[in-house]
Amino acid sequence: MIAVLGLLIGILAGLFLEPTVPEALQPYLPIAVVAALDAVFGGLRAHLDGIFDDKVFVVSFVSNVLIAAVIVYLGDQLGVGGQLSTGVIVVLGIRIFSNVAAIRRHVFHA
Amino acid sequence: MTTSTPPPGGDATLPTPTPAPVGDATPPTPTPPPVGDATPRVHDDLLTSILKGAVDQDYEVASQSRRGGGRAGGTLTFLVVVAAFGILLGVSALETERAEPVQAAERAELVDQIHARQDRLEGLHATLTSLQDEVTERQATLAGLLTDDDQLGDQLRTLAMVAAATESTGPGVTITVDDAPDAGRVTSGRVRDHDLQLLVNGLWQAGAEGIAINGHRLTSLTSIRFAGNAITVAYRSLTPPYVVEAIGDPDTLPARYLETQAGKVWQSLQANFGVQFDMRPRDEVTLPAAANQDLRYARQRAPR
Repeated sequence: MIAVLGLLIGILAGLFLEPTVPEALQPYLPIAVVAALDAVFGGLRAHLDGIFDDKVFVVSFVSNVLIAAVIVYLGDQLGVGGQLSTGVIVVLGIRIFSNVAAIRRHVFHA
Repeated sequence: MTTSTPPPGGDATLPTPTPAPVGDATPPTPTPPPVGDATPRVHDDLLTSILKGAVDQDYEVASQSRRGGGRAGGTLTFLVVVAAFGILLGVSALETERAEPVQAAERAELVDQIHARQDRLEGLHATLTSLQDEVTERQATLAGLLTDDDQLGDQLRTLAMVAAATESTGPGVTITVDDAPDAGRVTSGRVRDHDLQLLVNGLWQAGAEGIAINGHRLTSLTSIRFAGNAITVAYRSLTPPYVVEAIGDPDTLPARYLETQAGKVWQSLQANFGVQFDMRPRDEVTLPAAANQDLRYARQRAPR
């Protein structure tokens, strides 16, 4: 409940306050979103498994976003930003899919 | 092929080292990660470890260290993080939406540029084709003029000869001019640029149609000057004797020349300074074309 509330507050704040993202950070926004998505689905799965933990969720969220952004930043500095962000997205995508598969199994028992 | 490898989707065929995990449905992956197994195996390949290492392992560890199930989210930190996720979603959606018109405008501009350049290219191609046609046409006309013996062809040939644009052949005279035999170091007996200028102008006046000095064809713009101790014609140095060839009527040219002022001055030069002057009529004199033939006033027609 509180999660849905927080999500709504966040989305509304993002849409209506229109915070301007600095030009330098804009390339990392999509990667950060994917990383956050991974953490969120992991948390959701843990919640359905009945083992959810605030601290783990917060830490995994923050570290996911930061590490993904740092990896892509590093790649940009090394000249392989495109390849590295592809790699990050592939890994995160696989994790998201496997987590969502577990969630699906919980919800639909299938 | 059919016997060596197990079918990729068959969970049951794959051996699992641990017995059935605690009541949780395992994902249908080639190597299903046992949920209860908290110790990761190092020898797993990359994809397997990615599949196994979904976030739930962390939660496993945490819940194992603090038995009694997980806490439902309720703290302020949790709220903040979820809100941050929402902000991320909202902002990135906003950014994408903002970038769209800009990108569309850029794309439209590029497309416009491409079209403009293509039009320009087509225009240039058309110009090129028409110019080539024109060149072909003019060349045909020129060839026709040069071969036909009509009035235009004659005019063209006359003009080309007067302008020293082509090699010209015709009857004429040859004048050989040289310094006085005793000129030596004394400068008084030497032919100067002014003398040659006078001689050439006199020949023009007497009706010469083309003149060359030592094989250098003269045009209306050719200079005859002194440079150092040598006479230059069209900026090329000459050494005496100076052979002046002129195309004209060999019968009347010498007489008419002698009547000009140049003829009289040269007679006095011969008499007073011993400068050598020898004019002979010739049946055929061949003059080369002039070296530099730049267009000075004619401009290329503006492309249509």
